[in-house]
Order: sequence, then structure tokens, then C-alpha cells
Amino acid sequence: MSLLKADQITMQFGGLTAVNNFNLELNKNEIVALIGPNGAGKTTAFNMITGVYNPTKGKIYFEGKDITGLRPDQITSLGIARTFQNIRLFKELSVLENVLIANHLNVKSNVFEAIFKLPRYMKEEKSMISKSIELLDKVGLGDLKYEKSSSLPYGKQRRLEIARALATNPKILLLDEPAAGMNPKETEDLTSFIKEIKEQFDLTIFMIEHHMQVVMGISNVIYVLDYGITIAQGSPYDIQNNQKVIEAYLGVSENDA
Amino acid sequence: MTLDVFLQHITNGISLGSLYALIAIGYTMVYGILRLINFAHGDIFMMATYFAFYGVVIFSLPWYFVFVFAIILTGILGIIVEKTAYKTLRDAPKISILISAIGASYLLENLAVVIFGGRPKAFPTPDLFNKVVQVGNISVQRLTFIIPVVTVALLFMLLYLINKTKSGMAMRAVSKDHETARLMGVDVDKTISFTFFIGSMLAAVGGIMWALKFPQIQPLMGVIPGLKCFIAAVIGGIGNVTGAVVGGFILGIGEIMLVALLPSLTGYRDAFAFILLIVILIFKPTGIMGEKISEKV
Amino acid sequence: MKKRNLILTIISIIVLAIFIFYADSNFDAYQVRILNLCAIYTILGLSMNLINGFTGLFSLGHAGFMAVGAYTTALLTMSLAAKEQNFFMQPLVAPLNSIVWPFLPSLLAGGLMAAFVAYLIGAPALRLKGDYLAIATLGFGEIIRVIFTNTQNITNGALGLKGIPSSTNLWWSFGIAIVTIIVLLSLINSSYGRAFKAIREDEIAAESMGINLFKHKSISFMIGAFFAGVGGGLLGSLLGTIDPLMFRFLLTFNILLIIVLGGMSSVTGTIISAFVITIAQEVLRFLDEPMNFGFAVVQITGLRMVIFSALLMVVVLFYRNGLMGSREFSWDKLIKLFKRNPLVKGGTK
Ligand SMILES: Nc1ncnc2c1ncn2[C@@H]1O[C@H](COP(=O)(O)OP(=O)(O)O)[C@@H](O)[C@H]1O
Ligand SMILES: [Mg+2]
Repeated sequence: MSLLKADQITMQFGGLTAVNNFNLELNKNEIVALIGPNGAGKTTAFNMITGVYNPTKGKIYFEGKDITGLRPDQITSLGIARTFQNIRLFKELSVLENVLIANHLNVKSNVFEAIFKLPRYMKEEKSMISKSIELLDKVGLGDLKYEKSSSLPYGKQRRLEIARALATNPKILLLDEPAAGMNPKETEDLTSFIKEIKEQFDLTIFMIEHHMQVVMGISNVIYVLDYGITIAQGSPYDIQNNQKVIEAYLGVSENDA
Repeated sequence: MTLDVFLQHITNGISLGSLYALIAIGYTMVYGILRLINFAHGDIFMMATYFAFYGVVIFSLPWYFVFVFAIILTGILGIIVEKTAYKTLRDAPKISILISAIGASYLLENLAVVIFGGRPKAFPTPDLFNKVVQVGNISVQRLTFIIPVVTVALLFMLLYLINKTKSGMAMRAVSKDHETARLMGVDVDKTISFTFFIGSMLAAVGGIMWALKFPQIQPLMGVIPGLKCFIAAVIGGIGNVTGAVVGGFILGIGEIMLVALLPSLTGYRDAFAFILLIVILIFKPTGIMGEKISEKV
Repeated sequence: MKKRNLILTIISIIVLAIFIFYADSNFDAYQVRILNLCAIYTILGLSMNLINGFTGLFSLGHAGFMAVGAYTTALLTMSLAAKEQNFFMQPLVAPLNSIVWPFLPSLLAGGLMAAFVAYLIGAPALRLKGDYLAIATLGFGEIIRVIFTNTQNITNGALGLKGIPSSTNLWWSFGIAIVTIIVLLSLINSSYGRAFKAIREDEIAAESMGINLFKHKSISFMIGAFFAGVGGGLLGSLLGTIDPLMFRFLLTFNILLIIVLGGMSSVTGTIISAFVITIAQEVLRFLDEPMNFGFAVVQITGLRMVIFSALLMVVVLFYRNGLMGSREFSWDKLIKLFKRNPLVKGGTK
């Protein structure tokens, strides 16, 4: 059984069909990429899977369970975490707080236990902090944990956003253009970082990415979207040699990039 | 209730609704262009009545001259409010802008208390408006007819302005997206000022007719009508001028009918608008004629 | 380090207690009343700041919650004789007409009632955002007031309640203010508090990190309302009379002014600002014609209010972060400040 399955999901905004009958299957420990020109509907597909948008049509199954129409926080607690195309950190808060917040969904104590610092809460808080610090050390942000998150350089902000998503204990991690705005060196680091966390956290990864270097290097399967329609899917090799894709996307993007 | 009584109530409802509509238009226009509740709008409405009052009573000028003058003066006041309270905050967090709006509203009210005095003043009504007309079995003040006619006429003029003129096109462009409008060569600041000018002048017309109908003016008179008219704008679909008018009528007629049909609830008349607002926000947050906008993520 | 700070905090509370002890017997009634108001406005400011500043919900219904708290407390504490005198138009409903509770349980009941009302209001209103939330909460605040004006046999309608026992004294008001500060600081620095701030910073990101928006907004809203209710109860008991007009939007405006001036996400700022504004309102009273209303029942009376509304605008326009922004007082910072002795070259860095 696939870990995540999208069945004919469609998203319409007024007259615009941003995503049309999109089908997707993610199997455990795969890295799957979603590519396509700007405005193709990639982010919209993410938003439907993570519950930010409610699909106009179609169903989404996670571990065989229908999750269509659940709220984003419910979907995250089930084990699907994400990052955003335009970084959405909690800007005024510290790096550590950003990660701690992602731990909150596992807090069992109620608000009174938290206010009056009762033992169960204190235990949870302590373990939450040590776990978060450990995670930040792992992703190489340990030294910056008390910095304001918006003061981090761009690349580190991206990394923090991934760390924050990891803190929710996901089974699937969705990355929306993680290498956007990075230079080749940073892109290379990111690629190995993604491979690393996949192994370390036993993840399945679904990512949107424009850098072909990243996509072709690490994905098992690639989906290509154009004007909301899936025009191709297959292995990196298949996609590279697909005429439709070359016309719709690769040709254009090589000139762009 | 006999048919005559019913018609009498409906006439009153339409008349009150027209007044709400005129004020609601100003809210909707400003919201459309700045995504901001102009809390000071109700107070601009109040200021208009004082301008007219002083023109007639103190300077004893002819009323038609005074009314035109007061309307223009109110339009300018609208521009001043925009320039001082909102312009510098254009990129500020929403909460700051809202607080500034509330501050501007309070400032106007308190200035009015200081300048005009806190005691209510009797607004002079020219005889022309006061005559009672007999239609069948119902007798109506002439003003009750004049108000809806003026409102509808102004609505059509405004729709023409928005849809058929260059300034109107600029307004529509700015309401879609400030940056894009700027790139297309629209002077955004001027367009926003123009919007405040028009919206405030309409509020002035509403205010003066309000004062003719309920001839007592005081510095806080704009607060409750202001809130209600914002609600009318939300009911109609905020950002939509025709919607604001529809919302105004619904609210005006609804209020009068509530009191007429359920006299025991008279005390709750002022709560009616808020209850309607909450019901609308829950079931159709975009109002009757508003477009759905979902935040892009 | 932590122990030192705790000791310093305890010492300050003791110093405050000594001050109250002194003030209680040496200050005149007017000064005591202002101090009481300062403490009550601290409670009210903090409760509104939890909702607006820390959770980022633009709520304007605070006066409504205060009204609920004030009326509940008053109706529970008033003597049966006073109740009979007040309710001459229509008798007070049972069981209120036969019970008299002590002050503390009544205050708590006032807070709980306010929290319950917040729960009812929040169910629809907290699904709205930004301006819509603002206008809906403002509407609910007005509805509460209109209901109180019309429920003659519970609230005595427009006549209001007179002869509320004056139980509020410096011990109560400062005691409860300190409890409020401690509880709210503990909340804000807990996992729940972080969730509130996440919601303030970015709702969509917060929700995507697993935070149930509605649940957490409701918690913040209800706790804020609870303290607003308690503050309202203290205020009613201090003034001795309440009526629905007292709880107009102007009251919410005053509290908004406090939190904006103090800094929208600073507990320290709110406390300082509550004292500054309350005292300034009194000191500047000479600007108006003499009016012997209490602070909260102040009618809109001219120049003084012009100054306060202009002040609000100046703060938002030019000093958007207020006094403290999101900074807080801490012993560590204070000690550092002293250690950097200007007489010693270089000081301790
Ligand atoms: N909330 C929304 N409302 C209206 N249109 C939207 C919304 N979100 C996305 N769209 C539109 O859907 C299309 C696809 O957008 P998106 O999914 O962001 O593309 P991509 O991520 O592939 O670049 C675009 O035309 C975009 O303008
Ligand atoms: Mg995208």
C-alpha cells in the first residue's frame, strides 16, 4: 500500500483550474519531485495535500485513511509536514522557539498544568527543549538557537524551516522549492542534507524544485505539471527524454536559469 | 397591522435604509481600496452636520449654498484624515492601521466636543423638506421621499464614475493591487485621496439628510450609525458599492420592521445590526454581493 | 542565577507589601483610589494584551467582558437590602435575590462568567480574522451592553446598580494584579504561550506546524476574558455603582491605549503604561470642567480626551512599538545595567 495517495484531486479558483485531476502515489522512503513552470499549480497541489486548501474534487489518502478536508493541524499530527515556497518562519521568535512550537502538537498537558507548572508539564517541557536542541545540533543550527529567526542568513532560514517541519515527527516531508535562491554550492549542500535527513529520520520526501541538478540527482520519481495538468511522470531518465516535458518546461527553464 | 400601517413602515424603512446606504458606500469604497475599516467615517458624517449647522445658523446663508459648501468641506476633511492617519502607515501591520483609525475617530469626536460643545443642537430644517404629503391613507414628510431619490441618483452617478471614467478606472486598478496599478502609471496616492474625497462627500449628503430627518446633532451622533453602516457594507459584500446600498436597505427596513412587528424588542434595536452582522459573517462571510477571496499561500 | 532572581522577586513583592501597608493608612482616599485604579487597569491591560498583543487577535469586546464580571460580582456581593432598594421597577430574579457571597468567590464567579461568555462569543467570532474579528467582537460587546440595558429583572436595566459593597482595597487590587502578572507570564512563557505567539506571527505556518488555531485562540480569548471579568468586578466594587453606559466602547479604547502605549507584546510595558495612563488621566483632569465621576464613567469631556486620542495616534504613527515593544524587564538586565559602572573605565561588558 502506498503511504500517500491523491486520487484525481482538482482545485478551482473561480474560473481558474489551478490543478486538474492530479494523481499521486508516494511509497515509503522514496524521494519524489514535482516540477513544472511557474504557475503550473505545484504549490496548490501541496496546499491541498496539507489541508491549506480543500480540493474542489478528489480524495487524498494517507496510510489508507481518507484525509480529504481535514484541517492542516490535523494532517500535520498524522505525520505530514511541510515547508513553504516563501519562507514562513515565526520571524520575531528565536530559532529554538520556532522548533519548540513544532513540538507543541505532542504536548499532553492542558493549559492549567502549563500555567501552574505541574510535574507532567515540566517533564514535557524539559524533554521538548532537549529534543529541540538536539535536533538543531543535528542540522547544524545549534550555535544559533537563541538568535531571532529573521536575523539568520537566507540559507539558514531555509534549513531552519526544514528543521521546524522535522520537529513535528513527520513520516512525509513536503519541501516547496527548498533550493530557491541558492547558489550552486549551497544547492549541493542542500542536496546532501536532504539525503541525510531522509535516512536519519526515515522519511518519505515530496518536493517541488526548479534546480534540475537537485531533482535529477536524488529523486526516484518525477511528476511534471503544466497548467494544472500532469503531462508526464516517471524516472529522471524518462523525464529528461520526454518530448512534451522538454517543450513545456526544460527548454524554457534552461534559458531562464 | 393594516396595509396602510405596513406601507408607512416600509416607507420609513426605505428612507432610513437610504441614509445607511449613503454612509455605507464610503466604508465600502475605502475598504475596497485600502482593506481598512475607516472608523473615522461615522465622525466625518457627524462633522458634515456641524458644518451645515454653522453655515445656516451662524452665518445665516441660504441652505442650498451651505449644503454644497458643507459637502465639499467634508470631502476635504476626508482627505485630511487619510493623509494624517493612514498614509504614513500604508505598509504597517494591519493592527497599527486599525488602531490609528480608532484614534482618528476618537480625535474627531473629542475635537467636536471641544469646538462645538457637547450639548445637542437643534438642526434647522427648511420648510421645503418638512411639508407633509398625503398619499392615499398614509401621510409622509416630503423628506422621506427625497432621501431615497437622492440616494439612488447618487448611486447611479457613482457607478458611472467608477465604471466609465478614467478616475474610476484608476480606483478599480488600485483596489486590485497597489503595485501593479503604480506600474501601469496610476498615481496611487492621488487615487486614494480621491476615494476618500468622494466617500466623505457621500457621507456628508447622508449626514445632512440625517440631520434634516432627525433634527438634533451632537458630537457622538456618528458612532452608532457609523458602526451600523459598516455592517451594512459587510452585509452587502464589502468592496462592492451596489452591495453597500443593498445592505443599507436591508438594515434600515429590517430595523424599522423589527420595532414595528415585535414592539417588545424595541430595546434591542441597536443590537439588531450586530446580530445580523454575526449571522452573515458565519454563513456568508463575503456578504451578499462580495467576491470570495482566499489567501494565497 | 535563577535562585537569585527568585529572591529578588520575593524581596520586591515584600517591599510592595510594605508600601501598600503604608499607603493604606497614610494616603488620602483620593490617592488610594488612584492607586487602586492603577492596579485594576494593570489587570485589564494585561488581559487585553494576552488576546491582542500575544495572540494577535484584534478583539475589541473587552468592555463587554468587564461588564459581565462587574455585574456578576456586584449581584453576588450586594446585601439583600441593597438589592431590594435597587430593584424597585421589577424584582430581582431568584436565586440572586436571596444570596450574598463573600468577595473573592464573587470575583472568581465574575471571571468565570466572563470566560463563559467569551466561549460563547468565540465559537462564531474566532473563526473570523483581522478587521472582521475586530468588528464582530465590538458588536458582541455592544450586544452585551444592550442586553444588560434590557434585562430589568437581572441587571436593573439602564438604572444600573447602586450600593455595591466597597470591598476593593489596595490589598485586593494589588494582590490580584500580582497574581495576574505571575499567571500570565507563566502562560506566555509556556508551550501554550509559544503557540499563541506562533499564531500571532503567522497563522498559516502555525496551523501547518500542528497548532489547532481555534482551540488555542479560544484558550487565549477565555483566559483574557476571565481576567477582564475579575478586573471589572474589582472596578465595580471600587466605584460602588455600575450601569450599562459605563461599559461603552470608550472603556475598551482606554485599555487599548494602555497596551498600545506600553508595547503590544510586553507585560512590563503594559504595567508601566497602566500606571502612567491612569495617573495621567487623573492629573490632566483639570483640563476639563469639574466632573466628579469616577475614572471609568468619565463622559467624553473635551480637551483631556483630545489629548489622549491624539496621544494614541502619535504613538501608532511615530512610535509603533510603544514604550517597550516586545521587550521585558528582567533582573539580569537590571543588574547588568548597574554593573556597567560609568565611573570605572570600560565597565563590565
Ligand atoms: N488562493 C488562490 N486564489 C486564486 N488563485 C490562486 C490561489 N492560489 C493559487 N492560485 C493560482 O493558481 C495557479 C497555480 O499557482 P501555484 O500553485 O502557486 O503555482 P506554482 O507553485 O506551480 O508556481 C496560479 O495561476 C495562481 O495564481
Ligand atoms: Mg509554487
